[in-house]
Parts: sequence; structure tokens; C-alpha cells
Amino acid sequence: MHPFDHLAPETLDAAVEALAGDEDAQALAGGMSLVPVLRHRLAAPSALIDLSRIPGLSFVREEGDRVVIGAMTRHAVVAASPELGRRIPALARLAGDIGDPLVRNRGTIGGSLANNDPAACYPCALLGLGAVVRTNRREIAADDFILGTFETALEPGELIVAVTFPVPDLAVHLKEKNFASRFSVVGLFLSRRGGQVRIGITGAGPHAFRPTAFEEALTADFRPDALKGLAVPAEELNTDQHASAAYRSHLISVLAERAVERCLAGDGDARGDRA
Amino acid sequence: MTSAPTRTIRLKVNGHPVEETVECRMPLAELLRDRLRLTGTHVGCDTSQCGACTVHVDGVAVRSCTLFAVQADGAEVLTIEGVGEPGALHPLQAAFQEHHALQCGFCTPGMIMTALELLRREARPTPETVRRYLEGNICRCTGYYNIVKAILATAEAGTAEQKASEGGGHAPL
Amino acid sequence: MFVGKPLRRREDVKFVSGKGRFVDDLLPAQTAHVAFVRSPHAHARIGSIDVDQARHADGVLRVLTAADWEAAGNGKLVCVHPMPFSDGRPMNEVLRPAFAAGKVCHVGDIVAAVIAETKHAAVDAAELVEIDYEVLPANVETARALDADCPLVHEEFGVNLINEVVHGDREATDAAFAKAAHITELTLVSNRLAAMPLEPRAYLADHDVERDETTLWATAQMPHMLRQWICRYALHLPEHRLRVIAPDVGGGFGVKGNFTPEIPTIVWMARELGRPVKWTCTRAEALQSDSQGRDHVTHARMAFDEEGRILGLEVETLACLGAYLSNFAPSIPGNSYPQTLTGLYRTPAAYARVRGVYTNTVPIDAYRGSGRPEATLVNERLLESGAREMGIDVVEMRRRNLLSREDFPYKTPIGRTYDSGDPQAMLDKLLALADYEALRREQARRRADEGRLMGIGLAVFLDKSGTGPSKSLARKGGLHGGYETACVRVNSDGGVTLFMGTHSHGQGHDITYAAIAADQLGLDIDAIEVVEGDTGRIAHGNGTWGSRSVSVGGAALHRACGEVMAKAHRIAAHLLEVRMEEVRYEPPLFAVPGSNRSVSFAEVADVAYHGARLPADHSIEPGLESTVFHDPDDSNDPSAMHLAVVEVDARTGRVALERYLTVDDCGTVINPMIVEGQVHGGLAQGLGQALMENVVYDPASGQLLSGTFMDYAMPRASDMPPLAMDFHASPTPSNVLGAKGGSETGTIGPPAALTNAIVDALWHLGVRDLRMPLTPGRVWEAIAQAQSGRDS
Repeated sequence: MHPFDHLAPETLDAAVEALAGDEDAQALAGGMSLVPVLRHRLAAPSALIDLSRIPGLSFVREEGDRVVIGAMTRHAVVAASPELGRRIPALARLAGDIGDPLVRNRGTIGGSLANNDPAACYPCALLGLGAVVRTNRREIAADDFILGTFETALEPGELIVAVTFPVPDLAVHLKEKNFASRFSVVGLFLSRRGGQVRIGITGAGPHAFRPTAFEEALTADFRPDALKGLAVPAEELNTDQHASAAYRSHLISVLAERAVERCLAGDGDARGDRA
Repeated sequence: MTSAPTRTIRLKVNGHPVEETVECRMPLAELLRDRLRLTGTHVGCDTSQCGACTVHVDGVAVRSCTLFAVQADGAEVLTIEGVGEPGALHPLQAAFQEHHALQCGFCTPGMIMTALELLRREARPTPETVRRYLEGNICRCTGYYNIVKAILATAEAGTAEQKASEGGGHAPL
Repeated sequence: MFVGKPLRRREDVKFVSGKGRFVDDLLPAQTAHVAFVRSPHAHARIGSIDVDQARHADGVLRVLTAADWEAAGNGKLVCVHPMPFSDGRPMNEVLRPAFAAGKVCHVGDIVAAVIAETKHAAVDAAELVEIDYEVLPANVETARALDADCPLVHEEFGVNLINEVVHGDREATDAAFAKAAHITELTLVSNRLAAMPLEPRAYLADHDVERDETTLWATAQMPHMLRQWICRYALHLPEHRLRVIAPDVGGGFGVKGNFTPEIPTIVWMARELGRPVKWTCTRAEALQSDSQGRDHVTHARMAFDEEGRILGLEVETLACLGAYLSNFAPSIPGNSYPQTLTGLYRTPAAYARVRGVYTNTVPIDAYRGSGRPEATLVNERLLESGAREMGIDVVEMRRRNLLSREDFPYKTPIGRTYDSGDPQAMLDKLLALADYEALRREQARRRADEGRLMGIGLAVFLDKSGTGPSKSLARKGGLHGGYETACVRVNSDGGVTLFMGTHSHGQGHDITYAAIAADQLGLDIDAIEVVEGDTGRIAHGNGTWGSRSVSVGGAALHRACGEVMAKAHRIAAHLLEVRMEEVRYEPPLFAVPGSNRSVSFAEVADVAYHGARLPADHSIEPGLESTVFHDPDDSNDPSAMHLAVVEVDARTGRVALERYLTVDDCGTVINPMIVEGQVHGGLAQGLGQALMENVVYDPASGQLLSGTFMDYAMPRASDMPPLAMDFHASPTPSNVLGAKGGSETGTIGPPAALTNAIVDALWHLGVRDLRMPLTPGRVWEAIAQAQSGRDS
């Protein structure tokens, strides 16, 4: 790797300042995405601003009808959280299926969202639940957060502090994996809240997205049949050595139907807890 | 040409205090292997997937290729060399031998480190749980069957031990 | 008796404690490091190479290109198993260059090397080497390689053809097809694989200037062969100047048996600089430089009579060998592959034409299975498809065609004579293990009651191991021998050291050889030490590959033990002052029955090494050891049968592996625990080929798309199916132990068994064939295509 400096500030302000003072500095969360990039010499930051020593960024908290997760909370902690397991079990399951146990011991929700890999898991839940990303400067709604491939609304020096997830009535996460990377070939997160259906899809296109036609159909009529004839056009999706766009399009439809079936079957894990 | 930034770090490795001055870009795996000559931790890939480099940092199993040595400043690191006693294998190590859970031996330290964490988190895992827990450790030799067997056997013996002792002790490491 | 018991391995203690000694663990003082500059293009002319900036970078000692290699008078990386055209013409040979000169022919082709004080300095400086490339059209598709408009990898031949090898009888096969009641025809692809042993290749060479001796620590499966190749072909050194040591090696599967371009450069530089020089391959480099496996495109037909009995087999194969010829490469499609094409079936007539072709890809060479997975895919897909097409149960089809024990030795129409086997009995075992009738009932029930798609598929096949007679290798073009070497050296205290010419990289040779020797010498296992992997300590051996260590190495060991025992017996008789016939060995004592006189093995050893008490007439010399170079009379033919049970989710294409069953015949089993472990590991790689492993090149750009483990998938623990195994030993006459190789069958069966199983699940939907890897996407597409074919 190219050489770089390593700083581990102990406050958020110090981290922001360090990033502001050096445009080539990069924030380091769990390192699961960044470190391989550095090892392959695909990036050459001048310094890594390590966020792990900043207190108060790792938590899972209930706040009324929301669950708030701190940006530096490791996937393993999210997956094992009793609060999340009770309120939004599908999200806990998603976290518990990211990568592998070693990845889950280090990877963080903030790092994953900031990186915005088009096949990462969290982005589909971000969209599927209509979450809000809280940064050191502002709050960004999920729909405004994801802009492009590896591109988010975060501005230089802006750090994610927490992510707020509204608790749904029902939610399901389904993932068909890339056998090599263990990322999603298609990952789908569906939620229903007061009749409104949201769906987030990851792994299939240039970035995570919402198939709004599916959402409208299911909001009007929450049954698998409501999706008949609907499909995300293959032209909008990726073809790679692992799966064709046509297959991805088909898989989205299948997973959407199955997600609805799971909800209707009263699958305990699908049930959110708005109480 | 500017030289690479360095730091002096202080940590504990297998219970022993260590003080080293390292480049910030030095992965923990390199500190362990090249500097401390603890070569039991192996490097098998460059995309943080194979798990051959697994160690415990402050009690958590992590890939030492994906952590920089400077990130371990102030931490307690456990490597395969710190497992078991000289001349007395840890039950899991003994089980690996007993059940032929290794062939070339290259993935073995990483497997053991991951399995130790699993057994600490779950005293009696199901075979399915064991298999899922090993997803981050690739083996090209054994087909995994005997590795799973060794871990399950250790779990069973461990809980038998626990039942036999008074007031329930700790699960092994 | 130690042979036949599941003895635990002694080396495990060090491995589980992290005390293994792998090449990358070695870091002597003053080690210099190497970084290679590799082509990013699949095919390009090399214009200028500017090494000036690199040469002057911090810590850089040398920067090398082809010009430096030439100027040093260095040689070539010779292909040690060439295979000419069947009509006698020499093959169109282009060897792997140590440094590409003139042009680069695959992504990863080495253009330059930087040697520097540190790894960082070498890698940083490598980026400063400026190379002017003129990109040329490339072809990375095997099926296209002989098309008229296909770009040529090497213009000098005018074609991408390497050789054309023909086996069998064209006329007899044509006649068989002419009278066939049914002909099945398929196009089959054996997908390209990367072996990916978990330990990357690594080499450390050190040169002792005063003694003019170089030592190379290498991740090598054949230390002696490697020494020979480097000295004789690449660097023109007297062999005694180079010592090759293979310490602990973390998996090989064939790729560490190859003579790759990096190796001679490392040795050369160590000698030139007079200090240690080290290189460890990164995983990304490994995918661009380790030799790869398989990559066949085959059109094949099988002819049957009305009863489904095979009349003939006709095979046309394009076998990709990459951009250059790696050392064993031509022999795999040219020899190993055709030899097992007819498998375990009575096949009256067969014809195979195999054409090796160049493409702009990494060179192909031996990878566990080497030709037999490709052959089994052809034979077994045709057989099962034939059965389905004719409405005959796939097991019944095997019954009608399988050889029986009495048919052996069986001369195949391809040329090889199979030495031993009992296929009908093995099939009985497999079906019993699987409870085949119950599986079929369950399959019918699930489909009728629940609309679920369960599939059952078999693969029955022959393997080829224990290579082999040196003359036979030479006849087929080999430039190396097939014998194996064992030295049994009794120490003066009665303990024994075995020096073996093979090399374990996970196969447990230590306990295996120790068991054989312990039984032969009547000693305890603990008295026996095994040494492998050091040309400085061991006489020339041919190494470990092709499942030959027990068959050939074990046979050599058996003989050497016999000679040691014979001499020990003579010494004992001399000490006891009786004739040889009056002494009986009742371990550990040589005794005179009917008396209380005896002498122990340890005492015999002591006398042998002291010398004074040996006969005055020198009829028995001092010492107690024997070195045997055993050239076998034949290689041998293990066989195995696999059965796969799957369920296909038709909507996602996902294939659930419910069960996998195997029955193996590897003859006499020395250590059942180790043999089972070999099958387990082979299965993981076989299932890998069938379901997920795939080296992918982009046809448009020639770029390697599977460049890291992010894209090259390998099975994890959770991907392995529930497994049941059985064994059936029909000992081989080819060696005194009756042992056949047991470590490759796992890779051979799954491609055919799983493809057959999935076709079985989907046949009624119109699916007839699928290409590996059988990913969910491909399975779904096969169903979709079959359905749209029906609807139109």
C-alpha cells in the first residue's frame, strides 16, 4: 500500500477537523471495505482518520417508534441486539447475514452506508424502511442519501453519526448471495407501515433503489398477485459474471412475492413491533 | 521523498508486553509475522476473505490483515501461539488432531481462532451454526467435514466438563 | 499392525500450535524482495520499457527485463511432457517466458522484475516501470480458437493449434454409429478453474558465495524435479550447486508442481546478489500466474443398441492450454484425459480427437483430477442422457454397461488396459448406501404432492494414478521419469529414518510411510522418522502428483524395508551363529526357535554400525540401510461412484444439495482416516467446479474478471452437503501393497453427478443440458429457455 498517516481522534469534532484540514484524508470505520482497497493500491489517502475511539457512536436504542443505531455499531452487535430483535427483527437478521462472522465483528453500519457499495446489504434496508441518516451536520432521508455507485449525499468532512429506522408493522429481508463475495446478487428489504409498502433493492443495479411500481401495487393491494405483470426492466440492471440482468429482474419479482407471502403467513420474524 | 509516517505502539501479545515503532500502513498480520516472528498467523488472500490471518483483539476474532498494527495500540492480542500451553494442547487443538481436521495446516490457526470465539459465544452450537460460523474461513484441503466434527466434539466435551464441575465454570477459552 | 488403522498424524501438533514452517515464514537477515511487473493486457506488443525511474528509486537493487535474462545467458522453462501431433509432427510449442519479449500474451504475463531492500520498496518501484504497449486483438474463448477469423496468439504457426492427438479407431467407431439404435449427442464444457491452495506460492533463494552453493526454499511438490529444471533448462547450473528444500507446503493440487516463470529469476538474483531473495505471490497475482485447470469444449456422441448397451463413443475436444505451454500441460488433454474417457463401461469402439489450442489466457497445467473430471463429464453425461432419451432408468443403464470384476484386466478401445476393479459390486454398495428405491419414491412423491423438484444423478468413473513406468512416460513424450525413491536408514540405536522422494503438502505421508515401515520392520511407529522435501538429504525422487505417493513411493519403501530386513536377518544369524533359515524374526527379536537365544533389532543395528563383530571375511559390510529407486511396471486405476441428491428451486434456480454419496475403490487402504479426508477435500473442489468456481475472462477485452476471491468463488463449510461414504477394495497388481491412489476421485465425480442430478430434476420441464458452474442464474435460464421453447 501507499504510505499514510493514522490518527485516532477522541471526539467527533476532532475527527471532523482532521478531515477538514486534509482533503486527502479518509475516515476509517470498520475497514472492511477501505482496507482491501488500500491493499490493492486503488486509493492513496494521506491519512486515515480512525473513528473507533470516539465515544458514544456505538449503540442500539429505542426512541419511541424508532430504533436508532450508532454509526460505529458493529454488524455483530446490531444482529444480537435484543431491542432490535424485538422491534425490527428483519433488520437484525440482515445485519447477521452480512459477509461472515469476522466481517461482522468489525464492519459498521456507518462505514457500510458511507461507502454505498451497490451490492452491500444495509442500503436496501435504508430504503426499505425509509430510514434517516443523521450526520454531524444534518439529517438526510434515505431517498436523498443514495446518489450513485459508491456515491452518497455526504459532503467532504461530513460524518454519519447515527441511523434512525422507523419501526414497521411488518418487514422481511431476503438475500440471494454471490457465492464468492457473499454480497447480494439481489437483496430485498420490504416493509409495511400503516398500509404503506416500501421496498429497497440492492445488488441488482448501479446502486440500491426502490421499485416504486411494486410499492404502489402492494400498498393498494397487499397480496403477491398484485405484483403480476410488474418487473424491474432488465435494461436498468447489472449483468456480470455472476448473474445476468434478466435473472436479476426475475429474482426481484420472486423475492418481492416471497416477502409478501412471508408477511401474510404471520412469520414471527416478519413482524415489527410498533407497540 | 518523504518517508512513511510511523507510530510507536504498545500492546500485549499473548500476554507479553510489546513495544514497536511501525509504519502506519503496516497490517497487524505483518507486525505479528515479520516483526514479532509469530508466524503461526498466515496470509492467504488480499481481499479479507480467507480468514487464515484470524487472531483475537481484545477478545474479538478479527482478520489481522485488515487491521493496521497502529489500530491495535493498547490492545490485547491473542494469536495461535498463545492458545494452549507449551506441551499441553487446548482441547480444541487436540480435537483437530484427533478428528483429522487439518491436512496442509495453512488455514488451521485461523480456523481454531474463529472456532474458539464460537465456542465462547455458544457452548453447544448445532452443526449448522458451526458451519455458518466458519463461513469466513476458507479451507481448500479438508472439505470442512472433520473441522466441524472437531468443533462439535470439543463443545460436547466442554459442556460435559462444565456439568461435571461444581457451580458451572467457564466454557473453555 | 499399523497399516489399515486410522492413526493420527504426528505433524498436526505443530500445525495446530502455529509452529508450521512455510516458506513465507522464513525471513533471514538481509533478505531482498522481488516484485513482478505484469501485463495488464491480454495481448499487446511491447514497445519500449523504461526502467530508469524504477532503477533509481529508494532501496532498489536491480530491475530486470527479457534483455537482462538473455544477456545473462539464461535458458528456457522447458515443457517436460510435450505431446506431438499423432501424425508425428512436433507440437507447435511456445514456452512460458521468464520475461515476455516482444509481446505479452496474457493478463499477468511478466515483463519486468524489481529487486529491492524491502517489499514496499519493490512494489513501489514496480509502479515506476514504464512500458509502452500496443494493444492487439485477443482471443480468450476456447471454442473460437480455431475459427478462421480468430486472432492468433503466436503468429508463427498461422493457427492457434498446439497439437492434434487421436486415440482409438475411427473406422470401427463409424461402423458402430452406423448400426446404432440410438445416438445421444452433447456439447460439454469443463469450466476453467484455479486451484487456489490456501498458501500462496512463495520462494526464498539464498546463495553462499564462498561455497558457491545456492539453497532454494520453495512451495514445491517435486523438489528434485524443480532443481533439475532450474539447473538444466533455465540457469544452466551444475545440479549439485542448487539445493531445493520444500518445507511445510500449504496445499498444492498440481500448481506447486509447475515450473513457473518467477522461480528461476529468484534463484538467479540470489546468486548474483549473494544474499537471500524472496518472493511471495499475492492472491491477485496467483489468479494471473498460477497455472489453471480444465477448460475443455467437447462435442461428443454415444451410440447405443436397442437395449441401451454402448456400441461406440466419439469425442471431439478442444483443450485450451493458455497462452504458453506449461510443463506437463500437453499430456493432460493428450494422454490423461483420453485414457479414462470410456470410464467403467464395456465400450467396443471409441474414437477421440483432442486438439490443444492457445488462447490469450494464463497457462493451463495439472490440477487435481487432471483430465479425469473432463473425461467423466463427457462419458457420464452421455450415458445418463442416453438413458433418459431411451426411457431406461439411469441405474439400469449402468448395470447393462458396467464392467464386472471378471472383465479385468480390460483393454479399452482408447488404448489403456485397466488393471483392477469391481464396478458391479461397487454399484450395489452405492445403491444400498443411498437406498436408491426410496429416493426415487420420494422424488415422485414430492413432485406429485408438492410440486417440488428433487433430482438424483450419478457418476461412475475411473481414475488414473500411480504414474508410472518411466518407459511408458517416455513413449508418450515425457522428459522425466516415473520411478520413486525410498531410503530406509537404520540408525545405530535401532531407530529408523526414512528418506522419501515424494513430498506431502497435506496428504499425511509421515504417518502413512511410518506405518508401512513399522509393519515391515516390526518396530513401533515412534521409532520411525520420515524425511521428505530436501534435495540435499534425499536421493532423486519424482515428487507428489497424480496420486502416486503410496502406489510408487510406498512400493519403493516396501522394497527398501525388505532389503534392510534381509541384511538384518543375515547379521542376526551371524551373531547367533546359526544358518539364516534357523532364525525367525519375532519383533523386536531375532530368535532361534526352540532355544532361548535371541538378539534384538537394536542390537543388530549397533553391531552393523560398530563393524567389529561383523564377519572377518567381509561377507557382510557395516551399515544397515537401503536405497531403492522403484520403477513400477504399471500405473493403476482407482475407481469411484458418486450419487447426488438435489432439490431445485425452480423460481430462483437455487440448487440445494441434500445428500452426496460416494463409494471408492483405492485398493488397499493404508490409513482410512487420511483416505477419507482426501475424498472430503476432493469433493469440495469437485462441487466447487460444478456449482461455483469459474475463471472468467471478458471476451471483448480479454480482461480477467475473476481477479480476486471477490469473484472467484470457492465452497465454504456451509456449502458442503451431508455426506455418506463407503469403500470397496480391489487390490491392484501394479504394486506389492495393492494400493491405488485415493486423493483425486473427489474432484472427478461431482461435475457429472450434479449436472445429471439437476437435469434429472428438470427433465420433465424440457431441460436437457446445463453448463457449469451450475449457478442459480444458469439453472433458472435453462428452465426459462426450455419453457419458452415449449411455449413457442
